[in-house]
Amino acid sequence: MRRSLLLGLTLVLVATGCRKEPIYELDQVDLRPPSPDKDQLKTNEEYAAILHANLFQTGLSANALFELGQCIESIGDKELAREVLISNFMNKPGVILPTDTAMRADPDAFITDTYRRFLVRDPSEAERTWFRNLIVADPNITTELVYYAFALSNEHLYY
Amino acid sequence: MDRRRFIRQAGAAAAAAFAAPYILPSGRLFAASGGGLAQHVVLVLFAGGVRQQESVLQRYLADSQGEPYEGNVLYNMLSGAPPEMKIVYGTGLGGINPIPSVLGQSLQQQGTLFREMHAVSTGHFGGLNSLLQGSTAATQGLQQKPLNPTIFEYLRRHAGVPASKCWFVGNSIGGSVPLLNYSEHPTYGARYGANFFAPNVTFGPLGQQYLGDAKVYHPEEQLGPVYAMKAFLDNSFEHVVDAPTGIGNTAAEKADIKAFMAEMFQRTQNGAIAHPPVHDNGDLTTVGYACEVIRWFKPTLTVVNLSGVDGCHSNFTGYLASLHRADHAVGHLWDFIQTQVPGMAGNTTLIAVPECGRNDDPNAIKDQNDWFSYDHSDANAHRVFGLMAGAGVQAGLQVGAEGSPVGLVTDVVPTVAELLGIKSEVLSAGLIDPQSMSLFDRI
Repeated sequence: MRRSLLLGLTLVLVATGCRKEPIYELDQVDLRPPSPDKDQLKTNEEYAAILHANLFQTGLSANALFELGQCIESIGDKELAREVLISNFMNKPGVILPTDTAMRADPDAFITDTYRRFLVRDPSEAERTWFRNLIVADPNITTELVYYAFALSNEHLYY
Repeated sequence: MDRRRFIRQAGAAAAAAFAAPYILPSGRLFAASGGGLAQHVVLVLFAGGVRQQESVLQRYLADSQGEPYEGNVLYNMLSGAPPEMKIVYGTGLGGINPIPSVLGQSLQQQGTLFREMHAVSTGHFGGLNSLLQGSTAATQGLQQKPLNPTIFEYLRRHAGVPASKCWFVGNSIGGSVPLLNYSEHPTYGARYGANFFAPNVTFGPLGQQYLGDAKVYHPEEQLGPVYAMKAFLDNSFEHVVDAPTGIGNTAAEKADIKAFMAEMFQRTQNGAIAHPPVHDNGDLTTVGYACEVIRWFKPTLTVVNLSGVDGCHSNFTGYLASLHRADHAVGHLWDFIQTQVPGMAGNTTLIAVPECGRNDDPNAIKDQNDWFSYDHSDANAHRVFGLMAGAGVQAGLQVGAEGSPVGLVTDVVPTVAELLGIKSEVLSAGLIDPQSMSLFDRI
């Protein structure tokens, strides 16, 4: 009897005394800046081709790309040239833009999609937050203006 | 107020009054170089390899084809009677109708002619670089940005001139011409560059097709947020790569240039560009758009590149016609400034210098008139002239002569610098050819 009680008590102590220690681990976090490998400047033709694909989701002919490259070459301030080119594209039928309603209904999804479309990467948490706050705070922000800014950004010049 | 305090305050006030005019928009403080001689300079890169024989020496066919016909085909620029026979350079079938002079008085009469200068290069790109950099450009590669600062960068950095007041108007996008609006020099470079158009492309059929239908955005309500978003995106990316900077047009300047472009597309479609009376080649249409740039922006410095005469490699008749048209272009440009741009009439200096000359001996190619063609590679190709007229320039003066050259093409940079009041800054930068000096000092 005593032996049985002693065995039972031992089992209870063992069962309750062997508590598994918690294991603390770290998530993998990439400490590099966004797009650390983009260091190749696009040519004028490459820029125009990718811009057109991003806005219209169709390609341009080689002849059209050559001509567009010449137009960009003929303007000394390349940033200005790109602005003029984007604003010409935006004036043409066939530009595929999400609706402003969809953007405001789910800003995070819109921001992620836009980063992927233009910069071929996901936004960092800081970037997502900044754009979310901007979209929520400013009713004048449209999808067209966001696309314009991404198309004009320096990162969009590189691959 | 006690005496010590009075002296301290008076001294501070005097120092501020002395320094304030020299604090540039960039915030930098520069020593004054002395007032310039002109408020605006128009420099014509003239015009693709010009032989002394058919220009200043006015030998027409006598020194090239062995035919005894002399005369002046540049009568807007140079004084002298035109050829009387064998006219092939004008308009109409066979070019028999010379283009009437635009100017009542030649630029030579109005200004100073350096009859013989030395070109440091016999090539176009080297010559253009020497004219814009003031250096021999001996190590300058083709399809490479200028190695040393251009006159645009000197002007913008040392005089604080805004980007929209510095213009380079090119007649094409070939021959590395679009590269010349700024250098890759580390302490100057893009942020001090000039605006550039090759208007025959920008506003020609291609430009009309791809650039001529720009959507107009509200500068504050729409472009303001766009620029803010771009700045945020660029800030994230600047850790990755040192992205190329623009030439420093402000948002307001960009808006102004876009408005100018819209106006040019409209005027081009309406046939209302300020072209010269005859505008049947690329140089002449380029000058028409250069006039529009001058009228709109009233630049401190405008550089116009002409190159039509380079057809001399294979067509001497075409060369004479292009030379005659380049003169017509310069005459129109000067007349336009004096009559159509009130803010620049009377305070503008025009300079025209070829980037290189042409050979003494012909190549083997003959044209439709059985005339020999000329390349540019021998000692004769180092012979050029220089012409200045307008504000700060003595009228009716000739300097140097055949056999006694005075001046280098690299003198153009310190000359423009002197005209615009930054000569000492340019010289002290130590980046121009040590032999170069202002043409005013040559006089």
